[in-house]
Amino acid sequence: MSRVTYIDFAGNTTELDLANGMTLMQGAVMNGIDGIEGECSGSCACATCHCYIDEAFLDKLPEMSENEDELLDGTVSERLPNSRLSCQIRMSDALDGIVVRLPEEQS
Amino acid sequence: MFRFDPFSPEIDANPFPAYKTLRDEYPCFWSEEANMWVLSRYQDIVMALNDWETFSSASGNLMSEMPNRAGATLGTSDPPRHDRMRALIQKAVMKRALDHLIEPARAAARNRLEAVRDKQPFDFVEDFSANYTVDLIAYLFNLPPENLDQVREKAVLMVQSDPVTRTKSPEHLAAFEWMRDYADTLVEIRKREPGEDLLSQFILAEIDGEKLQDREIQLTVTTLIMAGIESLSGFMSMLMKNLTEFTDVRDALVADPSKIPDAIEESLRYNTSAQRFKRCVQKEITLHGQTLKPGDFVCLAYGSGNRDERQFPNPDVYDLARKPKGHLGFGGGVHACLGTAIARLACKIAVEEILQMYPTIHAVEQELEWMPSSTFRSPLHLWVRA
Repeated sequence: MSRVTYIDFAGNTTELDLANGMTLMQGAVMNGIDGIEGECSGSCACATCHCYIDEAFLDKLPEMSENEDELLDGTVSERLPNSRLSCQIRMSDALDGIVVRLPEEQS
Repeated sequence: MFRFDPFSPEIDANPFPAYKTLRDEYPCFWSEEANMWVLSRYQDIVMALNDWETFSSASGNLMSEMPNRAGATLGTSDPPRHDRMRALIQKAVMKRALDHLIEPARAAARNRLEAVRDKQPFDFVEDFSANYTVDLIAYLFNLPPENLDQVREKAVLMVQSDPVTRTKSPEHLAAFEWMRDYADTLVEIRKREPGEDLLSQFILAEIDGEKLQDREIQLTVTTLIMAGIESLSGFMSMLMKNLTEFTDVRDALVADPSKIPDAIEESLRYNTSAQRFKRCVQKEITLHGQTLKPGDFVCLAYGSGNRDERQFPNPDVYDLARKPKGHLGFGGGVHACLGTAIARLACKIAVEEILQMYPTIHAVEQELEWMPSSTFRSPLHLWVRA
């Protein structure tokens, strides 16, 4: 288990312990956190699980695929340097304590 | 003995009682009529959608597939090629890229609604949704204006199947061939003179340094036209069927148009037009005591998963306040509908304009005639009065 903190656009904070291997998108959707949609259920095909990752963890994330990069260009809320698709990030010990901010809109 | 025949007119008209029996008593059912397994519970469908290695689309995804189409379109190919092809189109159809569509869509909706002002009652399908979706797709793909009526007619025919022979009739196949030739001509024109439109971008695209094959381009364009015109119009007709039937919901939207997106999402759950798609088993898997073998086809009954009480409480109630997350109205997994942002935008603008112009629009007494299709479900006509 590793700890993740989701902060939605309104500032509401939710802390969860997720099993390693679970994606940040799955953790949010399965625990009823609004602000992540995950329409393609994690296939990296829709960009409705857009999130902003805490700067301190950026270099611990898996490298971004070409698909993810292209999808991020089309997110509804603004793409920032720390934008990622949460379906592409699996929890691991290295990400324990990660803070994930959610954008205003996904679709 | 229970039977499930997705080709029967009774299932076209009302599949929901049969779906409930399937979910409760036969969650993994062999349909002799369809010659395939049927998965009807939400969790099973989601599992299959997310496991493309076991449940492949490369042998076709429509319940009654068209000849030589499988393998060449987005919906009928598997990763990794699918993912690269999809990425080429995805960007152009995401919400942020669609702002340019808003004003043309609004103008088209108003124009089509004005035209029925003195025609009461009017057929929502033929007089509005068919024309409005053709207007939109013609704009998006920059289609030549000459024979758009024919394009629509063929798009509607090509998704149908014959209830007696349980296959495509010669008329349906001819419509598919007509559309393929139409797409071919269009592709040739765009190759010579590429424009800014979605089709030109796709034609010019390369995957791993290689141009897409002509057959991939031709059949993908054919499918995009079919989906853009027929599927969108079919869903919009179901949405309007709900709003003219559940007039309390209609009134709530007139009072507060910001709830229109909620009505669209609940319609996608309650009675989406994309009722059933199929997959082909690649490796043996046992589900609910049944063993599915490689080569077996499996029907994923989205329309049933959307009414699964294990996932959605009171599933047979159309509830504007439900905000159903994870519904299967657009399918899911790697093949989740490509056009979701276009569909949502087109429906939102249409309902905004309809309710502003005709706030008391309602259904009239009628016996609905349903499209004969094992994949999609929508009425051939929907008579309404403003």
